[in-house]
Amino acid sequence: MKLLRAWTTLTSLTFRRLLWSASTMMVMLPLSGCLLLVLRLYYHRGHHEYSFKEFRDFSEFMILVFASFVVPICALAYGTASLGGDREDRTLVFLLVRPIPRALVLLAKFTATLPLVLGLVVGSFWLYCRLSGEVGQMAFSLYLPALLAMTFAYVCLFHLFAVAFRHSTIIALIYALFMEVLLGNLPGIVKRVAVNYYGRSIMYSAGAPEGLKSPDPEWFQPLEPETAMWALAGIAVAGLLLALIVFSRREYRDLT
Amino acid sequence: MLLSFEHVTKFYGAVIGVNDISCRIGPGITGLLGANGAGKSTLMKLASGQLRPTQGHVRIGEHDAWSTAAKHHLGYSPDLNSFYEEMTGREFVYTMARLHGFSRVEARQRTADVIEEVGMTDRAGRRMAGCSHGMRQRIKLAQALVHDPWLLLLDEPLSGIDPGGRREINELLFRLAAQGKTILVSSHILVEIEQLSNSILMMSRGRIIASGTLAEVRNLMQMRPMVVEIVAEPARRLAALLAENPIVQSVEVRDHALTVRTRNPQQFFGEIGELVCQHGIEVRRLQPLDAGAEAVFDYLQKGRS
Repeated sequence: MKLLRAWTTLTSLTFRRLLWSASTMMVMLPLSGCLLLVLRLYYHRGHHEYSFKEFRDFSEFMILVFASFVVPICALAYGTASLGGDREDRTLVFLLVRPIPRALVLLAKFTATLPLVLGLVVGSFWLYCRLSGEVGQMAFSLYLPALLAMTFAYVCLFHLFAVAFRHSTIIALIYALFMEVLLGNLPGIVKRVAVNYYGRSIMYSAGAPEGLKSPDPEWFQPLEPETAMWALAGIAVAGLLLALIVFSRREYRDLT
Repeated sequence: MLLSFEHVTKFYGAVIGVNDISCRIGPGITGLLGANGAGKSTLMKLASGQLRPTQGHVRIGEHDAWSTAAKHHLGYSPDLNSFYEEMTGREFVYTMARLHGFSRVEARQRTADVIEEVGMTDRAGRRMAGCSHGMRQRIKLAQALVHDPWLLLLDEPLSGIDPGGRREINELLFRLAAQGKTILVSSHILVEIEQLSNSILMMSRGRIIASGTLAEVRNLMQMRPMVVEIVAEPARRLAALLAENPIVQSVEVRDHALTVRTRNPQQFFGEIGELVCQHGIEVRRLQPLDAGAEAVFDYLQKGRS
């Protein structure tokens, strides 16, 4: 009972501190930028009925900008800050000397972070879809599972970064720009190192019955959605497990 | 219950932090003394379970210090100035109490009690970001005490606290020691430890070089021969004067440097100043060559001046 109380205290403490942190300011910029672009797309086309062209434009915007760039930024901002913030501020020492197993400390951090990031991603995606009329409503039901799976995988992965690296936010930013943006957009199978490849595969497959295709099939060959979903689940579970193992054993010599 | 170190060695890569330390620390206040880099903080981190020894074992009671079970018995006040700055002192201590699993009511009660104990009742509503260094030290002490542990590890707890505050903190530590708690206080200032505790562990270069009461350590050093290097001008004149002194066992002269072996270092250091003044000898350097003795003497001399 005492352990459960300690764990819930740490979870709610982390949630509150993340919510009112600089990370929230950081993610508001790309989310606001997306909102402006969605509004521009909507008012630019003049009519609000469903048409394939509008669906394709909105889908490509969501896949190439929102899913490939904004979602990792949101996950990165909170995923690395949840533990990395304590590590950089050196307040982690106050947690490590409490009678909470280290794995549970990290799980509390993760449990606080995941709903925050999911809430932001799903909430902003819902808003963009809502503002885009019929096209948006269709896109919401088609793409939501892929976005949830991507968010989950990114949050797990960035917790591993926070556990492993001292300046995890910077390392994660470099990772996001290099691996996710650069390698993720190269032709061939090298893009499989990027998490967003699997998310995009699911999204393109989900949009296929409506006529959606990748801009250049030679350049982007989507995986089967089931395979991509398993890959995202595997990245998430492996990332989180590895983070738990490393955090349970690691000495943090940089705290004092 | 004891805090015990059994042949504990800790490496940071190729650098040794502490070297084959064995000791047992029981109820009462024990002072951990040493210069910066002597290994005090490494020892504290090993005892608080933040680090694991490369060799040997650190135990809190019967538990390994790294284990979660050991943390129930441990109160740790680190030598750092980081807090959740947006919280008030009271909120911070309350949060730490909650992290020990206390219910809201119990955590609130314990927070109030411990804040009163450290003399922060009227200032605990202030945000940590606006607290002075002394106030932050007291809050650190309060969070270490809030779960009533039997072992307290206090890393430089008196730094930044005014003399009146020190007296209050000392009195609090005396009360806790009288309750049977084991308290290990680290400091690099002998006077602080002298006022708090008669039992000391003295560290230098990762080793415990002396332990016992302060009087025992002083006696030990008085009885221990020491080699001292002196660079002086004229060196030969000083060598001749020292050779006449019965406490000097041998003197070697090389250029301007003398290597002197004395059987009573304390008397030697007491007399040499007078000797060089009387004969107008210029001393450029005076340094014990034994690292352990150097550290002890450094402290003992500082403590007396």
